[in-house]
Amino acid sequence: MAVIQVEGLTKTFRVKDKEPGLSGSVRSLFHPRFQEKQAVHSIGFEVNRGETLAFLGPNGAGKSTTIKMLSGILHPSAGTADVLGFCPWKDRKQLAYKIGCVFGQKSQLWYHLPPEDTFELMGRIYDLPRADFLARRQLLVDRFELGPYLKTPVRKLSLGERMRCEIASSLLHRPEVLFLDEPTIGLDVVVKQRIRELIRELNREEGTTVFLTSHDPGDVEQLCKRVIVINHGTVILDDSVGNMKRDFLGKKTLHLKLREEAPDLQLPGVEVVKRKGTGIRLSVDTTLISMDELLGRMVQDWRIVDITIEDPAMEEIITFIYSRDSQNDELKERCRREGELA
Amino acid sequence: MRAAVQSAFGKYTAIGKVTIKNQVAYIMDFLMRTSFLVIIIYVFMQLWGATYSGEGRTIAGYTFTQMIWYLIISESITLATPSLSGRIEEEVKSGDVGYRLIRPVHYIGYHYSAYLGEVYFRLGVNLLVGFVLGLVVLGFPSFGMGWLGLLAVSLGSFTVNFLLNLMIALCAFWIEETRGLEFVYRKLLFTIGGMMMPLDIFPPLLRRVSEWLPFQTVLYYPAKMAVALDASELPRMLATQLGWILLLGALALLLYGKGVKKLHVNGG
Repeated sequence: MAVIQVEGLTKTFRVKDKEPGLSGSVRSLFHPRFQEKQAVHSIGFEVNRGETLAFLGPNGAGKSTTIKMLSGILHPSAGTADVLGFCPWKDRKQLAYKIGCVFGQKSQLWYHLPPEDTFELMGRIYDLPRADFLARRQLLVDRFELGPYLKTPVRKLSLGERMRCEIASSLLHRPEVLFLDEPTIGLDVVVKQRIRELIRELNREEGTTVFLTSHDPGDVEQLCKRVIVINHGTVILDDSVGNMKRDFLGKKTLHLKLREEAPDLQLPGVEVVKRKGTGIRLSVDTTLISMDELLGRMVQDWRIVDITIEDPAMEEIITFIYSRDSQNDELKERCRREGELA
Repeated sequence: MRAAVQSAFGKYTAIGKVTIKNQVAYIMDFLMRTSFLVIIIYVFMQLWGATYSGEGRTIAGYTFTQMIWYLIISESITLATPSLSGRIEEEVKSGDVGYRLIRPVHYIGYHYSAYLGEVYFRLGVNLLVGFVLGLVVLGFPSFGMGWLGLLAVSLGSFTVNFLLNLMIALCAFWIEETRGLEFVYRKLLFTIGGMMMPLDIFPPLLRRVSEWLPFQTVLYYPAKMAVALDASELPRMLATQLGWILLLGALALLLYGKGVKKLHVNGG
């Protein structure tokens, strides 16, 4: 069942165009000139209940604008969206009770007060019955291991402790959809890992739909089952994370250690990335050569001490998708310009 | 219906409560500011002392003691009001206003509850300091029921002040800086709002003008009620405050509606 349905969602901003210098400033004061800037261009997708979705894109791709439209802060220029049966920008207030938001770069906790005060306030704001609130708070405190910090002013918490409190506080009202905007930004590896585990648990046990934006490939890989990539305001990829990893590059990295130095393999789709004595790193394009063929040849030609086969790093895949898209764009742009000339 | 009212009441009192708690965390910083009260009152005591020695026992019906108590009250109120426009301007600029909108709380209601919580807490502390100060230099005040009069008009006074401040703050949706407007507003409160001296002292024309403006309801009303309670004036004062609250409230809502629309359309 779809909890988020988006169709043709478009957002155009009017940006004031100012010429440089004082005279430009004065001129723009009297004759403001506006430029249309298309932040989101007719995107469409569906998210099912209980899905964990990574919503990726480079800076300025339109991610935040989309989240803002889905949570009802921004009105779109065109298109429709349905979140849990509500139109976000029309039924913002009803929707507010059913969604939770965590913005890694903004704090919703009261800085000078201990987290329990913010929890208390959230309980009131979301109209939670007292007994329900207390039970829910206890559950989240146990699960997020917040007991020791509950009475410490937020300003004295470390970023990791604070972030756990942020997430817990946005879960008090049992949101059905959780929007996470870069929840692991600035955290160390161990804390990142812990936060991901917590979100995964939440998704598994309560069926909360997770809509996550991040620049951290680890978030995508370890937390999400599906990925949507947008760039320049359009969806350029919508697939499962597994498929993306397997199909997208079709590339594997092989690390080999040989018993003695040996000549390179001359095979299509196999490229020696690095070679140092008996250590070799290969990049293999599995669409050109199958793994068993390659392994067969290697065993035949080489005496292997050790071998590791790696999937491409999420980071590389994302970099590749972004760059591929901008190449396409350049191509389109060139075609358009040539078309205009002709 | 009853449940809805109850829920709203619970929400907004919770916001007020958490703001008060937050104020307690700032208490040192705040007490420092309150000490400013001592300096101001000292300066004004010298000024008015000189004036009274030339003019006689009362000026416009106020004795020297009443005049200084008037100042203590009006200063306590002034020092209790936070810079709301600074705060909201910051929210508009940083985009936090959007994130407040995704909570099931009305934006203005949120700020109003927080404002009241903060202002009453600070007023309490200021009055305490002011009272001790007055006690030392002037002796025990003979307000009588004046305290109740002060309390009665204080809500209206803070609400009018909130709405005026809010309207200035909401201008942040259109102009970059609201500090200038706030500066002018504060100076208006100092003068025709009656912070420096009661309106009764003004020349008739200026007084008439001031009476047609909302500023007098913020400082003059409560300070006057405390030091020279005239119970027969209370209904008129409350009615005037209510009138301004309705008018300014409608304007503020209109302004807010337009600002939010702009935010919805253009992201602030």
